[in-house]
Amino acid sequence: MKSVFTLSLLLPAFVFAAAPSSIRIEPKGRTLHGDGASQQLLVVGGYPDGSERDLTSEAQWKLSDPTLAAIEPGGKLSAKKDGAVTVTAIAAGHTATTTLHIEDASAVREFQFSRDIGNIFTRQGCNGSGCHGGVKGRGGFKLSPGVLNPKDDYEWIVKGGGYQVLTAEIKGARVPRIDIKDPAKSLILLKASGSIPHGGGRRFAVGSPDYNTILKWVTDGAPYGPEGTRENRIVALDVYPKIVTLDAEGRQRLLITARFADGRTEDFSGQALCVVNDKTVATVANGCIVTAGRLGETSVLVRAAGLAASTTVGVIGPPLAAYVDPPISNFIDKFVFDKLRRFRTPPSSLSSDQEFLRRICLDLTGTLPPPERAREFLASKDPAKRTKLIDTLMNSPEFIDYWTYRFDDLFRVGVFPNGINAKWSQMYADWVRESIATNKPYDQMARERIAAQGYDGPTRHYLPYDVIGPAGETMAEEVRVFFGRRLDCAQCHNHPYEAWSQDQFWGLAAFFSRVFKMGDQGNEYVVFDHPAGEAMGNADVNGSIKLFHPRTKVELKPALLDGTVVEGSARENPRKVLADWMVKNPYFAEAAVNRIWSYMFGRGIVDPVDDFRSTNPPSHPELLDRLAAEFRSHHHDLQFLIKTIASSRTYQLSGRPLPANSEDHTNYSHASPRALDAEVMLDAISSVTGVKEIFNTGVSGDEKDSGRAPAGTRAITLRQPDMYYSRFLDIYGRPNRLTLPERSGKANLNEALHMLAGAEYQEKLAAPGSRLRTLLTQAKSDDQVIEEFYLAAYSRLPGADESAAIRKLIASRENREEALRDFVWAVLCSREFSENH
Amino acid sequence: MNFNRHPGTGRRDFLKAGSLGFLGMHLSQFLRAASTSGVKGKAQSCILLWLEGGPSQVDTWDPKPSSAFKPISTNVSGIQISELLPKTSKRMDKMSIVRSMHTMGSDHPQGTHYAITGHEVNPAMHFPSIGSVIAKETGQRNGIPAHVLVPQWEKSRQYEEYFRSGFLGPDVDPMAIPDPSKAGFQVADLSLPKSVSAQAVASRQSFLKVVDRHYRAAYEGAEHANMDGFTAEAWKMLLNPAVQNAFDLSKESEKLKETYGKDAFGQSALLARRLVESGSRFVTAAGFHSNSWDTHAKNDEGHRDRLCPVLDRTLTALLDDLEQRGLLESTVVLAMGEFGRTPFVNPDLGRDHWPTSWSLALGGGGIRGGQVIGSTDETGAKLTSSATSMGDIFATIYKAFGIDWTKEYETPIGRPIKIANSLDDQTGTPIAELL
Repeated sequence: MKSVFTLSLLLPAFVFAAAPSSIRIEPKGRTLHGDGASQQLLVVGGYPDGSERDLTSEAQWKLSDPTLAAIEPGGKLSAKKDGAVTVTAIAAGHTATTTLHIEDASAVREFQFSRDIGNIFTRQGCNGSGCHGGVKGRGGFKLSPGVLNPKDDYEWIVKGGGYQVLTAEIKGARVPRIDIKDPAKSLILLKASGSIPHGGGRRFAVGSPDYNTILKWVTDGAPYGPEGTRENRIVALDVYPKIVTLDAEGRQRLLITARFADGRTEDFSGQALCVVNDKTVATVANGCIVTAGRLGETSVLVRAAGLAASTTVGVIGPPLAAYVDPPISNFIDKFVFDKLRRFRTPPSSLSSDQEFLRRICLDLTGTLPPPERAREFLASKDPAKRTKLIDTLMNSPEFIDYWTYRFDDLFRVGVFPNGINAKWSQMYADWVRESIATNKPYDQMARERIAAQGYDGPTRHYLPYDVIGPAGETMAEEVRVFFGRRLDCAQCHNHPYEAWSQDQFWGLAAFFSRVFKMGDQGNEYVVFDHPAGEAMGNADVNGSIKLFHPRTKVELKPALLDGTVVEGSARENPRKVLADWMVKNPYFAEAAVNRIWSYMFGRGIVDPVDDFRSTNPPSHPELLDRLAAEFRSHHHDLQFLIKTIASSRTYQLSGRPLPANSEDHTNYSHASPRALDAEVMLDAISSVTGVKEIFNTGVSGDEKDSGRAPAGTRAITLRQPDMYYSRFLDIYGRPNRLTLPERSGKANLNEALHMLAGAEYQEKLAAPGSRLRTLLTQAKSDDQVIEEFYLAAYSRLPGADESAAIRKLIASRENREEALRDFVWAVLCSREFSENH
Repeated sequence: MNFNRHPGTGRRDFLKAGSLGFLGMHLSQFLRAASTSGVKGKAQSCILLWLEGGPSQVDTWDPKPSSAFKPISTNVSGIQISELLPKTSKRMDKMSIVRSMHTMGSDHPQGTHYAITGHEVNPAMHFPSIGSVIAKETGQRNGIPAHVLVPQWEKSRQYEEYFRSGFLGPDVDPMAIPDPSKAGFQVADLSLPKSVSAQAVASRQSFLKVVDRHYRAAYEGAEHANMDGFTAEAWKMLLNPAVQNAFDLSKESEKLKETYGKDAFGQSALLARRLVESGSRFVTAAGFHSNSWDTHAKNDEGHRDRLCPVLDRTLTALLDDLEQRGLLESTVVLAMGEFGRTPFVNPDLGRDHWPTSWSLALGGGGIRGGQVIGSTDETGAKLTSSATSMGDIFATIYKAFGIDWTKEYETPIGRPIKIANSLDDQTGTPIAELL
């Protein structure tokens, strides 16, 4: 992560209040289970300015009953005997206590390969995706990333090379990595201890605890131990704290807790691998102690037991002399401003009326306000004018146009994606439009598409190029659109960076394996799910609707992400079960709110918006949770969500950065200017010049009236955009919708060339009926023309200095009309016009 | 890793790009120019003659009894090719034939993707084309676009995607331009409209400065799309006569135009030569969009009447022209389609797709001519030598350029991608006999 927080050196640094006002112990109320159980404790100091620091290293510890447990100076408590033990910590003159419960202290914990051996590989980095945990392993030795598949790992180590990526067959000679007869000669120990050459270097020394654990395991005959059960499966890793802020020299120990399916927790602080994303911002040492580097923000990834979690680390500058809390409009601001305060980054001021007007019109309607409306808004003294404007815009036809276009894009409405049939893509487009116009709850929209059957709009989505798409790809798209997660990697192999397995991929894909079409050849098709095992006149159908695991060749049954197999009857629509499960899954709402958020801010709380993964953490996790909760409790109401975001002060902050927040690009301390999307930009050019775009099918020059979009069609309202040729839209990155659109927003040379030489920037300037020509006909003065274009393009009045400078340039030219044309050209090429700010 | 919407365009980058902008250089190019002094190998450019649809190997480079056409001898003893390529047969010393191509993808999209990127289609990936890799590794020369595709697809535009830069980014996307054989051929956006005078350019720039001043002052510290560098480069291109000149086919003699052939393929190849002469690194001369090699019916007529004569004419015109200008030594010429065609004939007297064993031809740029690599059995259906993969061809061409063919790029999520990807995900090997 690149975002950097720097404080201007000009700001006087405030002396940091060195004494904490309180301390507390984390975690609270834990229960320790079993023999040898331990718990790392932290002492957290709270300071008058609201900040917190890790005081563990300077704390003194006391136990209420030393026969029950022991505690090391570093805060690691080990259980001895069942009972409740109260721990007291003293630091910086304050005292804090917590009580821990110890249960089954005498119960010997059963050996388990995945935990007792596998976790060593995770902690030592052996099974990372860059090493033996890579898709194909490394140096002929393959482990599953983070012990995702302990059985496979065990096989590799004890018997030698088994697991292959794409096939179940074992290739090559099998070389065991252990030596039962002479355990100390086990390859795995020789390599890891560097006793023989090892590409990965020395991971641990001969005689170190990890070495001894493995040696003892081999000596004991290398058992696997009991199979993991559903109850003793680890379902999540929690990291405390969720956001770490460090002063220049600060240190923070991370607490890592594994949560089991049965609700138990276990301290994993000593068993996880912690890796910092940006090592210049912070470093991490054994036991997950994070130490500050340069000012900035990064994340720490924590891996253990096949799972990953992360926490955000910010290294912050000295406190600001006076940090003024901005007023709060709604809950969004609370989360955003809380983080800014913690990061000592002041938010910019509220946007000016002109900034707000242009931004809200673009974000809610994709349309610039006409000059007369801009004038009216800017002149209004109504204190509620912003709220009223939001309501007005949300009730406008342009709102429906714009959000239909957004979802047309996301849902891939187009002729080629929808059966190469204009009628079908129109049906699908109509469904999207109707859903937006009626503000259909988003979960209903999702259900209608995921489970679509028969002959209606959303079913056309299942007929790309007039065929039923492969189940895996179809599923992966639904997951990416509605869960914001990318499973595609897992189609061929277990996801190298995530806990997505190939089994999960194909289990979900199997929900789509029976999707079938029936009807006249090349004419009308209904989409349905072919009844399992029934012939229906198609002899070869049952072969094609079966799906087999590509590696194990086992026939697949629909299974949810947690492995639950869905055994519906042969005639049930399996996608209906999937749809119901998906919209209730927490991923659904968080992906939806994140996406809408990104449309309003130019970046997601998780960014890219459809790449949720533990290694790509949200910038504001609590805000994301709350937005998702609000969205759910408001029946997945998109308009509610849009309005909530638009009404926040965070959204309405100025785009003008302050010296102290100019380097912030992720925490919303100011609005971030972003390039207008291709369609919005073309419409904006048409609206400023007053010359409508004419869209034709086929390449330019081929202007048959039959292939012309209805007069007045704007780029955002093109119903089958892939049928209309537009050099401008192609250059500015209009997606073809054949795959999920990715709008990079990255500039390129063709855009620059087109801006300087392209038709839209030349022909529209003074075409008949253009704004400029009309103004000239009305004999408007230079000032009037300038003002009109400023309002049309920038939604603001020109400054006196701007008018004067432009007037001067016009006067310096012989031909006034040519000069004005050049002025209009400059407006269209300016940053202020081509960006949303 | 950085997943910002405007990655790496913090204020510092913006300033650097801006300050180099007046030199007409991109920061990346500047760094490239600073770190390497030009291309290390003999090859400076590559022209891909894209035989869209897939030629029949037995009717071109690998004559067999199953072809209706006879083999003829060439000016290299021991090498025979189909009688449909008589002109080429007299210049066999300039080109080598690889008869052991074995590739993946048996329909046009898959085959094209594989032939151009060396990778099978993968839903999780956007692979760069060989042209984008070469453009990235060699950089721009003389302000001329490094990577060009001519003519662009007017229909089936998804094919163009495969020729693009994938995850490498728009810097090395091909510039796709219209069919140069059509009347009124003009490359859009490459020159200022005639209505815009030199005075107007100056005037527009002064207006732009004024209208942008407030905004730039207010947002100076904010994140910007990296547009300024591109704008500076665009101005430079538009005002650089060499650029327009490079694309200006009217400068070529009528006679030479005739020699190349006045159809889409011929004129694209001629333009390709003009471009590499001016500085382009990789030019794809397509031109078979509406005269496809995809002869599922009437294969023999197709090859005899409308395809091989066009290839034979244009390939030899290009070789002669390059040689005459002293460019053959520095220009790789690669002629291939996305796969071969079945050695047997179907009921429509056509030949279908055949990626199993097919042929391509390459030469120039330090790649030895007059060689035959690999062989097939009597029917042409099976390889009788070891298979040559797309990765081996790529590695050969990279080596000719002096590019490290074992290089891997990392995708934005850190997945390593070989630039010369062979079968079974191995790194391709340069063909020793050709270098």
